[in-house]
Amino acid sequence: MADAEGRGCDSTDQVNSSSGNSDDVVKFKDPLLTGLDRDSDDDGMESLDLDGSSKSEVTVSRSSSLIANFRLDEDVDAETRDLFIKVDDPEKHTSTLEAYITFRVTTKTTRAEFESSDFSVRRRYNDFLWLRQRLEETYHTHLVPPLPEKHSLKRLDRFSQEFLRVRQKALQKFLTRLADHPVLSFDKNVQVFLTAKAWEFQAHKKQGKGYISQVTDSIHNMGASYMMKNRPAEFGLMHEYINIFGEKLAVMDRIATRVLREQADYHAELCEWGPCYVLWGNSEDDLKAALLSMAKAIDQCCHCLKDLIDDTDDNLAQPLKEYILYTECIKAVLRRRDAIQMEYDMVVDELNKRKDEKENVKISDQTYSIGAFLGKDPEDVKHQKEEKLDQMIVDLTRQMEVLNDRTVVANANLKADMERWHKTKQRDVKEILMALADRQIRYYEKCLLVWEDAIRAIQKKDNDPSALASIDQPPADDTNTAAGNSSGTDNTSSGVESDNANNTATVS
Amino acid sequence: MADEGESIPTSEEKRTEKREEKKTEKIERPRPTHLLQWMEMTVSEPEKRTVASMKMQDTFIVYLVETRVTDPSMRGYGEGATSVWRRYSEFELLRNYLDATFPAVVVPPLPEKKASYTWQNASTDKFDPDFVERRRAALEIFLLRVAAHPKLCQDKIFAGFLKEENGWKESVYATDFQSKAESRLKALNAAFRLKKPDRRFEELKNYSNELQNNIANILKIRTHLCDKLYGIHKVHANYARVFHEWSLIEKDISQPLQSAGHYMDVYASSVDAALEEEEQYADQLKEYYAFGDSLRSVCRRYECAQYDLERGEDTLSTKAVQRDLLRAIINGTELPASAQGKSGNAFSLSGMKTKLFGGDTPEQRDVKLKQLEEQIAQTEIELRQTTDETQVFVEAALRDIDRFKRQKVKDLREIFTNYAVMQIKQCKKGIAIWTSAKDCFSKM
Repeated sequence: MADAEGRGCDSTDQVNSSSGNSDDVVKFKDPLLTGLDRDSDDDGMESLDLDGSSKSEVTVSRSSSLIANFRLDEDVDAETRDLFIKVDDPEKHTSTLEAYITFRVTTKTTRAEFESSDFSVRRRYNDFLWLRQRLEETYHTHLVPPLPEKHSLKRLDRFSQEFLRVRQKALQKFLTRLADHPVLSFDKNVQVFLTAKAWEFQAHKKQGKGYISQVTDSIHNMGASYMMKNRPAEFGLMHEYINIFGEKLAVMDRIATRVLREQADYHAELCEWGPCYVLWGNSEDDLKAALLSMAKAIDQCCHCLKDLIDDTDDNLAQPLKEYILYTECIKAVLRRRDAIQMEYDMVVDELNKRKDEKENVKISDQTYSIGAFLGKDPEDVKHQKEEKLDQMIVDLTRQMEVLNDRTVVANANLKADMERWHKTKQRDVKEILMALADRQIRYYEKCLLVWEDAIRAIQKKDNDPSALASIDQPPADDTNTAAGNSSGTDNTSSGVESDNANNTATVS
Repeated sequence: MADEGESIPTSEEKRTEKREEKKTEKIERPRPTHLLQWMEMTVSEPEKRTVASMKMQDTFIVYLVETRVTDPSMRGYGEGATSVWRRYSEFELLRNYLDATFPAVVVPPLPEKKASYTWQNASTDKFDPDFVERRRAALEIFLLRVAAHPKLCQDKIFAGFLKEENGWKESVYATDFQSKAESRLKALNAAFRLKKPDRRFEELKNYSNELQNNIANILKIRTHLCDKLYGIHKVHANYARVFHEWSLIEKDISQPLQSAGHYMDVYASSVDAALEEEEQYADQLKEYYAFGDSLRSVCRRYECAQYDLERGEDTLSTKAVQRDLLRAIINGTELPASAQGKSGNAFSLSGMKTKLFGGDTPEQRDVKLKQLEEQIAQTEIELRQTTDETQVFVEAALRDIDRFKRQKVKDLREIFTNYAVMQIKQCKKGIAIWTSAKDCFSKM
């Protein structure tokens, strides 16, 4: 019988470092708990089942996945990346039943598993959905990147340019993330998705088991999460982090939406302002040119603002939404992990209960048991009970080992994926925020040029070169520009005056 | 007419000016074209004063009006420096006086009594420091414009406004300027009943209406723009808050997030100063909006003058017809053509005859004829005088309008340039803030 107290592993388990033995106050030794301050590599290695006897297909992929998990993220660089996927070229298809859009998915790779190095196929949104579902089912403790939502919230037309552009970018992101994942990208389904011709692909889709529906899966998982008592600290931290992070993302999304709305309102008003100056110009002669210059400057600022608004939607609103979806995925995976651990915990409890029962039976007096009552020898009754319990203990122990493996693997997968995700998140967030700042800077730079041009145009008088000189006169000359002067305590005005002089001094 | 803004007039121009002025105005002593060429003027230091009378307490703002002679050679003519305290209502009184006393002048307008076209955070309270400061600036511009005007600057009441704090109000009322103002009824009649209106004043009226419409549109939309811009900036303060909260759960990116959040706050609060500064633009446009009213006043006075003229002409021609008729009757000649329905009035000859001459003895008729001829002579003299006056008025008005137009072009160019400068300043600030934020982000 395996000694459940110290090892927690199959007797065939050969790799068993010292950390697995020491300091276990907990009834059952969870290697990951002790490994908190050690390298994740070691933890994973501990529970690797290198003995081939009970290997299944799942184990193979499990071990390769574990190894792959701990390849450092720096490996997934432009230089070492060996799988490039591009999504573009949306096309509308009409069949008798429906109309839908497909995107071209182009793959370039040097991986040996692929029969050649270039592929080009067409896929529709449902195909992506299928792929994701498959991956989630197969790797339910890994982090599968999110897909954009099926229906867009604001725009209703799923064939509009705008909608297609946004969706294309999101699908691109999905596949890029997938390609960068050291485990998921090697999945057979991924390969089929990227390479199979239309009819091949349809056939392939039909295979495979229908699985636990997502809905029941998540309800079950949520229950587990709620009742979790022994959640390891690091996963508890992950839960907390993801919850708060998700909240903050949602707030940022709301702020970004609000800013966009206010900017759109401002833009609408600004578009009406320019024409006012043009209208005014219609009733002026000498002033007409200046008024038209103002109108032109305002209209140009309008365009700059429109560019800013459009860019922001692409590069802030959408990425934020993607990360919100990502956060939801992570929460689901965390819940699944909890459920897995829960199953394991329950079996452990059951096992210990039976062991206690067995101890009690050993020392018990069966004289007054039911069996004795029925005429059996109390000693026999005792033995029968003991045997029954022994069998249960053996069964439970085996179950426990399987579940332990599953738990350990789940934890390792999740941990590795989370670390990778944190790095990606940091990179992405930095990019998003820098782009935000960049856009604002470029907007202001453009507007600045617009207004500098406007000043030149307004100050230009075709027949009166001395006019430029008169502007440079010191502000004390009140008669010249009574409107611009307000001597005395009005500092901004005189500051503006000297700014004006500086600006026009640079006019050639 | 010399453009008094461009440069100090040469001695040649000064002499021409003096000659011109000698013709139309009485001048006390020889001077350059206008006050500002040798005097400095400021309106400053707004202060709150409270005056308690029997039943109520009156609180108002007073402004310090100071002048100083800058040209040493003019020392003898003006006081060295003056300073008086004036409140808004006294400025109003001054302007009303100038408006009534100089009908052919486009009198500069005062800043508005109550705040208009305010966006959501601009204050409408007349004691608010920003409002008071803007009013102070506008009052100063008003005084400077008056001082820069060759006719207005010579007025004694204006001089008194600058020098005599006590008793000035009484001196204004003593001039009885209100009686010079045209009655409203007359102005209304004049507007509709002119037979030969001068096209130039008609056009000017239309122009002033259009000017006011255009400026009103610009001001209205500007108000909306201010509201929206304010909203955009203030929402960014929320970014600051969420960055801060987010930084609490992060390790590596915590510091950059917090620093960036600080810049979001800076961005949010930068809008207050920017919008306050932009109010200056609105004030300058509002001044020109009010100038539209001044223009229309001049047109109105023209119409009244022309109306008087035309009425005089009508009276004259009516009397002439009567005289001709009477003469014809006395002499038994044919009725002259002048009595035959000319001049547009529908005479009923028989009615007239009976009215005027029915039952008269020949001696009475002679007396009447003599009276008529005297009246006609009198009216002719009056008419000539009115015509001369009107002509003088029209010339002066058109000259001043031309001056106004040139000033307007210069001013508005300057105003728009200033607006552009303000925008550039805001852009630079935006660039600075977001560059700092980007710098923070780059450290993530």
